[in-house]
Amino acid sequence: MSSLPGLFDSFDNLDQIDVGSLIPWIKNPPNPIQLENYLANRILYPQTMPLNEADIKIDLAILREVLRLNGPKKNQNGEMLGENPFLNITLRKIIIPDKFLQYVPNLTELTWAFVDGLLLSRAKEDFFGDLWTVIVSDHVDEIVGSILLPQFGSSSDVMDLNILGKGYKIKAGSLTLIPCPKDRCELSYKFSNGKFLGKEENAIEISGGKLGIMIDGRLS
Amino acid sequence: MYIPLRIRIERDIITRIYRSLTGTGQIKVSVNQEVAPEDIIGSSNSSAGFRVLNLANLLSVPPSETEKYLQRKVGQRIYKDELLAQKKDFLGRNKIVTSPADGILDYINPKTGELRMSFLPKKEDLPAGVYGIVEVVDEEKGMIIIKTQASLVHGVFGSGKLRDGTLNLIGKKDDFIAKSAFSSQYSGKILVGGSLIFKEAISEAISEGVKGIIVGGINAKDYKGMAGGHLSFPKKLDNDIGISIVCTEGFGSIPMGMDIYEILSAYDGKYISIDGNKAVIYLPSFESKSMSKIKNTSLGPITEALINHESEVTEMKIGLNVRVIGNSYSGEQGKIIAIDKSETVLPSGLKGTLITIETRSRKIQVPVANLEVIL
Repeated sequence: MSSLPGLFDSFDNLDQIDVGSLIPWIKNPPNPIQLENYLANRILYPQTMPLNEADIKIDLAILREVLRLNGPKKNQNGEMLGENPFLNITLRKIIIPDKFLQYVPNLTELTWAFVDGLLLSRAKEDFFGDLWTVIVSDHVDEIVGSILLPQFGSSSDVMDLNILGKGYKIKAGSLTLIPCPKDRCELSYKFSNGKFLGKEENAIEISGGKLGIMIDGRLS
Repeated sequence: MYIPLRIRIERDIITRIYRSLTGTGQIKVSVNQEVAPEDIIGSSNSSAGFRVLNLANLLSVPPSETEKYLQRKVGQRIYKDELLAQKKDFLGRNKIVTSPADGILDYINPKTGELRMSFLPKKEDLPAGVYGIVEVVDEEKGMIIIKTQASLVHGVFGSGKLRDGTLNLIGKKDDFIAKSAFSSQYSGKILVGGSLIFKEAISEAISEGVKGIIVGGINAKDYKGMAGGHLSFPKKLDNDIGISIVCTEGFGSIPMGMDIYEILSAYDGKYISIDGNKAVIYLPSFESKSMSKIKNTSLGPITEALINHESEVTEMKIGLNVRVIGNSYSGEQGKIIAIDKSETVLPSGLKGTLITIETRSRKIQVPVANLEVIL
């Protein structure tokens, strides 16, 4: 196939995506036959540009799945192994190529797609993967924010969070974005029944930026 | 600003065309011999394949009981329109199934109620189909290569080996091709349809002995079924399910482009070749005067050429013929009449340079990323 630039030109296994796995990511999904045709035409014509919001949602669903397919694999203990162009496990960084923003200009939506694709299935057995720095990578890497993956004890659990002096209540199961344009953001937190970085209560400093702080409270 | 270029039609070029016996037989030409379209260059005894009939469904009986309604035993020969199976319903009415072709009953599956039937071998003459000069005769493979003048139509993808047959139009460029479109009158033919063909229709076409289908689009799921479960497009394919298919536009329902539909329409009733795996249609010249050009043109050595025009690009300019490849206006063709000087934010939130295209019926604006220049 041609190597014309597009959102998916970094991936050569789009054809391995199960169409059924895309449907949960799309609010009003087309029927599976149309969805599979859309995916197939994406393989055939990788350079094309979605014209409407519905198509960009499908592209994001494809991105989630192809990131998951190409993501680090788990070992027998459920730990993620190996390096990946989009995930530095050692340094806990999510690396988003800058060129992806040409195809998905909304950085928040793009970052959620990376979180869903690369971190959603992680084992929340230790606090190693609770905090990730988000980097937009071009010739120079730019830190744009952080992702917090708190470990809620139950579905009724709440994380009391204070960022830059402002209080937030983060419920288990929620997805939250809090702006924090500074390079370093001070935060403190307290759980009723959960932990973050191995502690029920603590104060830390994390990276901020144009994305801000994303908190993925979904229960595994 | 550059955009991809796709060669869809190469008109009246000197090329090589391959002819193959469909079974064991005899080649009747030799190297350097001049041939005309009506010349018989070989003959063979071939089996036209097999057909699977779901008798349980046709008779409305449980699969395990199907065999007792058969009027012939497995292994026996049966001829077209002879009684194959029958069952009386509770009102005493007969449900009957007749044989769709001359064949032998191979096997009945008690779990599915399906009967497999092999068609009887038949003698087939192989016409040259073109004006040309025989370059290669391969008795072992039953293959002849003829240098000829032809127009080549390049589809987007396809499936199936090289096959020859008479081209017949069976629908408009935007029609769906249904199962009911096929009958025994199309046996040995290459059919040109419209915007979409379904798996059931392809199965019916195989059963009726259709050699090839040219269509705008096919559902990805059905294509995967023909391509071993894959949606990748390697340079060299080796798929064959007993029919050759060329899709000219893409996946899903996409009307066949006017450029290809018009040239194929001009060949209605004429003998052509189709190579599904290379997604190429060979439309030979039927003018005897082409012989002098064929004689005077030398071609390079014969190699397994891989056709790859997809990475070519060309500079965008007004007047170029383009085709839409994005999800909206897919397959539409027209001429570029204006190029925006600045980018526009699209409803998707993406920025793109819009190109105004005049199609046969309207003017549309499409971002440059969703276009390719066509030749």
